[in-house]
Amino acid sequence: MAFPKTYEYTDVEIVNFNQAREMKPYLRTPRAMYVGAPGKHGYLRLGFETDASGRSILRELDRRAPLIVQQELYFDEELPDMPCVYILSSGGPNVDGDRYRQIITLKENAMAFVSTGAATKLARMQDNYSGLLQTIELGPGSYLEYLPEPVIPCAHTRFISDTCMKVAPTATVFYSEIFMAGRKYYGDGELFDYDILSVCTHGERPDGEQLFREKFIIDPGRQPIRDIGVMHGFDIFANVLVMTPEANIGPLYEATEAFYNADEHLAAGITHLPGKAGLLFKVLGMETGPVKRVVREFCSKVRQQVKGKPLPPEFPWR
Amino acid sequence: MNLMYLLQMTDSTFPVGTFSFSNGLETASHTGIVHDAESLEQYTRSVARQGAFSDGVAALLAYRAAKKGDAGRVIEIDKELMLFKMNDEARMMLQRMGKKLAELAVKLFPDNRIISDWLGAIRTETTPGTYPVAQGLAFAASGLGEDELFASHQYGVINMVLSAALRCVRVSHYDTQLILQKLCAESDALYKEAREMNFEDMNSFVPEMDIFASLHEKGNMRMFMN
Repeated sequence: MAFPKTYEYTDVEIVNFNQAREMKPYLRTPRAMYVGAPGKHGYLRLGFETDASGRSILRELDRRAPLIVQQELYFDEELPDMPCVYILSSGGPNVDGDRYRQIITLKENAMAFVSTGAATKLARMQDNYSGLLQTIELGPGSYLEYLPEPVIPCAHTRFISDTCMKVAPTATVFYSEIFMAGRKYYGDGELFDYDILSVCTHGERPDGEQLFREKFIIDPGRQPIRDIGVMHGFDIFANVLVMTPEANIGPLYEATEAFYNADEHLAAGITHLPGKAGLLFKVLGMETGPVKRVVREFCSKVRQQVKGKPLPPEFPWR
Repeated sequence: MNLMYLLQMTDSTFPVGTFSFSNGLETASHTGIVHDAESLEQYTRSVARQGAFSDGVAALLAYRAAKKGDAGRVIEIDKELMLFKMNDEARMMLQRMGKKLAELAVKLFPDNRIISDWLGAIRTETTPGTYPVAQGLAFAASGLGEDELFASHQYGVINMVLSAALRCVRVSHYDTQLILQKLCAESDALYKEAREMNFEDMNSFVPEMDIFASLHEKGNMRMFMN
């Protein structure tokens, strides 16, 4: 069977996290629009592959509101043949009872850059939750950079995501997420006022061999979030998973610094994923700017190792 | 006499090597972040909570599988726990202690097929051989209850950090005993959650601790094995 396969909209199940233990307190039917209503069940499928000349293109694009992706652009000056897309949401923030399904596939030797047009805002929720189910499939030799803007949870946000990365041993994925503590400068500050963030990312090979599973649940009302070892004094947390061929892991680990800078309130650490699958990189900070900078510097190292090119400087408006 | 078995398997002289790992505490103290009884209490609480919802859950699941005589499920749980361990040194520590406990348990419970089969699987490298699974099997074999297993597991985790603290943080034995008492009192609430959890519920959120562990792994200063 060809890998990655071509998904059809009709193949895809309705996103449902009602069985997740941590979401049990949040299963009331939304008083506003029902779960699964048009515009509240986003769907996005991005299929990248190489054309006859070997250039990477966005061959498959299927979407349902509120998710929007426009035509791919080639704006990366270091990798001018890499298609770049921004995922946008016409609805603004994720709201109560929203569900999202995203599928990103890269066929053999394709490359792509995927980001979001702006920070993902998670609105206040009263009855239900917002859920995202993601599948990322990378064929042999392919290369994906997934570098979205930060996630901003409001007071009483409930959000759950599950991301399955099915990656050929010769492919590389750089998958990053940045979580803010909340709307830091809204009113007197809204830090860790949300109800729950539950984030699970798991990696496997195309033949189904399981490599790793990372799951974190942040429920600030029930867990001493400001304790030493957890968030302590930090407000921003970035989590980066890199799956890459085994030969890249050692050099990348050596080239990446772990540090704890108490003066600048910035810290980062790196470790090996199980199953020789790649690396896990974590950053803690106070503002998104410095955290994004550290994440991009790490991404640049990965790109240098895999593609022999650095990341270009970030656009001044981002 | 069950209580004596429980004491035996929880005692720090039980030869599995818990004494030599510090869970990144050394770095946390070296940076000055853990420097007194209050900061040590917070740090130890983070370790205990993380242990409860990952290793603690795996120990309970292994215990139940052993009680049912389901050797296949024991190996599944063992592998699932390794998928979840995001740190080389944590994986090494888990496997080293797991194998030691398995080797001891076949001597303590020579008629127990599940333990001997599992040790066989560790030796042929068909299963990783993690410590929480070994604890689950040993407790099932000894006739102790799963609440006692969880208590012993949490006590071991807390005590490992506090023993290390006596060597690298400016605290007294009085301080560490008070912290131990406080965190033991909190363990019941953790058990009530952990006993309801399955593999897909296992979770861990200790980013600062992960960074300490990484600094330790990359650094040169090592007093403890972790």
